[in-house]
Amino acid sequence: MNGFLTYVPVILMGVWNTLILSTAGFLLATLLGLLMAFIEVFSPKPISITVDWVTRVLRGVPLLLALLLVFYGLPRVGIALPNIASAIIGITIVDSGYQAQLFRGAIEGVGERQLEAAYSIGLSKWAAFRYIIAPQAFRAALPGWLNEFTIVLKDSSIAYAIGVTELFTQAVHVAQVVLDYLQPLILVSIVYFSICYPLSIISERARRKLLAMGVAAV
Amino acid sequence: MKVVLEVSNLWKFFGKSPVLRGVSFSVREGEAKVILGPSGAGKSTLLRCINLLIKPDRGSIILDGEEVTAPGVNVARVRSKIGFVFQHFNLFNHLTALENVMLGLIKVKGMNRDDAFKVARESLLSVGISEDLWSKYPAQLSGGQQQRVAIARAIAMSPRLVLFDEPTSALDPELIWEVLRVMEKMSKERMTMIVVTHELGFAMKVADEVVFMDSGAIVERGPPEEVILRPRNERVRRFMERMQYVYSLK
Ligand SMILES: Nc1ncnc2c1ncn2[C@@H]1O[C@H](COP(=O)(O)OP(=O)(O)OP(=O)(O)O)[C@@H](O)[C@H]1O
Ligand SMILES: [Mg+2]
Repeated sequence: MNGFLTYVPVILMGVWNTLILSTAGFLLATLLGLLMAFIEVFSPKPISITVDWVTRVLRGVPLLLALLLVFYGLPRVGIALPNIASAIIGITIVDSGYQAQLFRGAIEGVGERQLEAAYSIGLSKWAAFRYIIAPQAFRAALPGWLNEFTIVLKDSSIAYAIGVTELFTQAVHVAQVVLDYLQPLILVSIVYFSICYPLSIISERARRKLLAMGVAAV
Repeated sequence: MKVVLEVSNLWKFFGKSPVLRGVSFSVREGEAKVILGPSGAGKSTLLRCINLLIKPDRGSIILDGEEVTAPGVNVARVRSKIGFVFQHFNLFNHLTALENVMLGLIKVKGMNRDDAFKVARESLLSVGISEDLWSKYPAQLSGGQQQRVAIARAIAMSPRLVLFDEPTSALDPELIWEVLRVMEKMSKERMTMIVVTHELGFAMKVADEVVFMDSGAIVERGPPEEVILRPRNERVRRFMERMQYVYSLK
């Protein structure tokens, strides 16, 4: 052993920032994604098409580019943010485009027939959304939403590029000190895996359970 | 006998083509009216107008003395008084059979859960859905069971009128009878209903009046024996000959 073990706590300290980054970025992206999905589904054509186009652009932005743009680019126009805040904003921007697509598919997938049935028993537009469309769309989106979090979690390692002291950054720093990349990176892999694996299991279970109920996940 | 529904001179255009061309008829309390006619005749469009799912371009619909096609009418309130049974059942996928029936009672009629449960139980039992099926989701039920739950969902709301749009067309032949039998029972219990169907046997047994539609208009109407067995209109005769070929066992 080349002193790696003494540095394990240093690496694990990075877990907190990784979780803060990815959870905050992901949940903000959920809010923004829901908002854009609602606009796409429920607003008049020109607005809906514009927002759809915005989500496409967002999905086309590489995360690294977004991070560099927010952290190094925005100060030029007078907006200087700490690196962790920049990372959260970058993740939010890029991921909201994907989540908008996920939620839109989930809402539209519920289908005209369910809506007609809701109207036929006398539910108002709002009640039909609240009691029929929303619950079914929520269920349909759930497995994909959980999967999306695992992707964001792993992608948050790109915050390394703007110096956020998250899991991956810590591991690289330790590697440079102990002159060994293998052990720190294996440890990091284990950490990512032990967060992502349970989530993917839950996602898969949800998917199967929903299928048995006749709700196809998006 | 009291008139429940009065449809007068109903017109509906999709684009430039007329789909309903001045349809008029009325339905008395407890009556079962069967609508026959070829594909594209406008039968579904007619039912969807009555249920205010689409807005007719001209003409009026009066339900229980209230003109429901007038501007400013509370559409949801009118719909809660009309049951609709769909060709593809359209049960709420995320709710169990029992919850499908209870939802409207709670959210539309404002009942508490206990009262809603009592009403839902009566409705489900009356269509022959026994307790072991109440906690099943639609995907776990056969087509015939789904359609009977859908009927229970409609009648639980104690509607003034129930509309059926080809309720057995999506069912395997062996399951058709269980749905038709429930509908026959409803009619015997004097539920007012309008049924769009191709089941001539059902029409013969249950209909008080048969209405034949073609190209958006009513071309013949009368007692089932008249319209089905001795049609006067040429178009109706041709239709019935074809149906004879399909259904006759002789
Ligand atoms: N939303 C719509 N937009 C445009 N055309 C429509 C629409 N709905 C129905 N039509 C047309 O109106 C005509 C009548 O349709 P409708 O569904 O009422 O017929 P139907 O008698 O119920 O036939 P079927 O036996 O096939 O169910 C058809 O030609 C159909 O293509
Ligand atoms: Mg039809």
